[in-house]
Amino acid sequence: MTHPTSALDDTVHQRVRLGILAVLSESRRADFGYLKEVLEVTAGNLSQHLAILEEAGHIQIAKVFEDKRSRTWITATRKGRAALASEIATMKTLLEGIGTSQRV
Amino acid sequence: MNIDQARESIAFSNYARKRARDDIARPWLALVLLGSLSVASLSLTDAAATPTGLFWVFAGPLGAGAIALYAYRRNRSSGIDSSPVAYLAITLGLITLSYAAAKIAFVFQIPVFGRGGPALVVAAGYLALGWIERSWIVAGVSIALIAVTVAIVGLGLSPQASKAAMLAFYGVALLAVGFNMRLERHQLQ
Repeated sequence: MTHPTSALDDTVHQRVRLGILAVLSESRRADFGYLKEVLEVTAGNLSQHLAILEEAGHIQIAKVFEDKRSRTWITATRKGRAALASEIATMKTLLEGIGTSQRV
Repeated sequence: MNIDQARESIAFSNYARKRARDDIARPWLALVLLGSLSVASLSLTDAAATPTGLFWVFAGPLGAGAIALYAYRRNRSSGIDSSPVAYLAITLGLITLSYAAAKIAFVFQIPVFGRGGPALVVAAGYLALGWIERSWIVAGVSIALIAVTVAIVGLGLSPQASKAAMLAFYGVALLAVGFNMRLERHQLQ
């Protein structure tokens, strides 16, 4: 029998990465500046988290030129959306199943 | 991970989702524009049904185009956008349903269906818009529109009078809600 926490995905359940996928799950795409503002992180920090999610296949990053300036659009992949849904469901199950004083 | 961290993660995820939804969803322009068009078409109802129909042939696509252009420009500047598929599906669905309602009324000679059908389809469209935009206000307005449409049809007014009453109510309701949403958004910014 495995512990319920084994269902948690290390790549996704980090706070900022969870936030990135949450924003992207509600939209078709979001740009780098928008994510930086909403998640209140530095550009360097956000870049690191995006790289981890991209490597895991949860997001796709596209750099384009719009109005003579560079812009980075980020899109959640199907795998990323599924991973977020699974992560949230697992955390909710864990919270429902144990008392507030217990450790997950 | 402890329980507080799990709770905090879920709360943060909910905040991020809500923020994204709020930034994407701005149905106020659609409500104001279509409300204005409904009120403008009222001036044509006293002549005959045809001028109103012609008005909507041009005003409908122009209104939809203006809303689409606004959404495109807004998305480019705000840094987040949504898929247009749901909006396109609703628009096509509404056109099909409206046409079907008018056709059924004509073929089977059911004037009540012809009088209330298209209006009910528009109200159903707003219900779908409320669902896409996750807006309880828009959903509430659409239910009120459905109730009023049924009531007006039930009154047994002349086709002209019932059409005018519906357009007036739709126009005023959409304008009021649209401007109210715009005002609330302005106060939040």
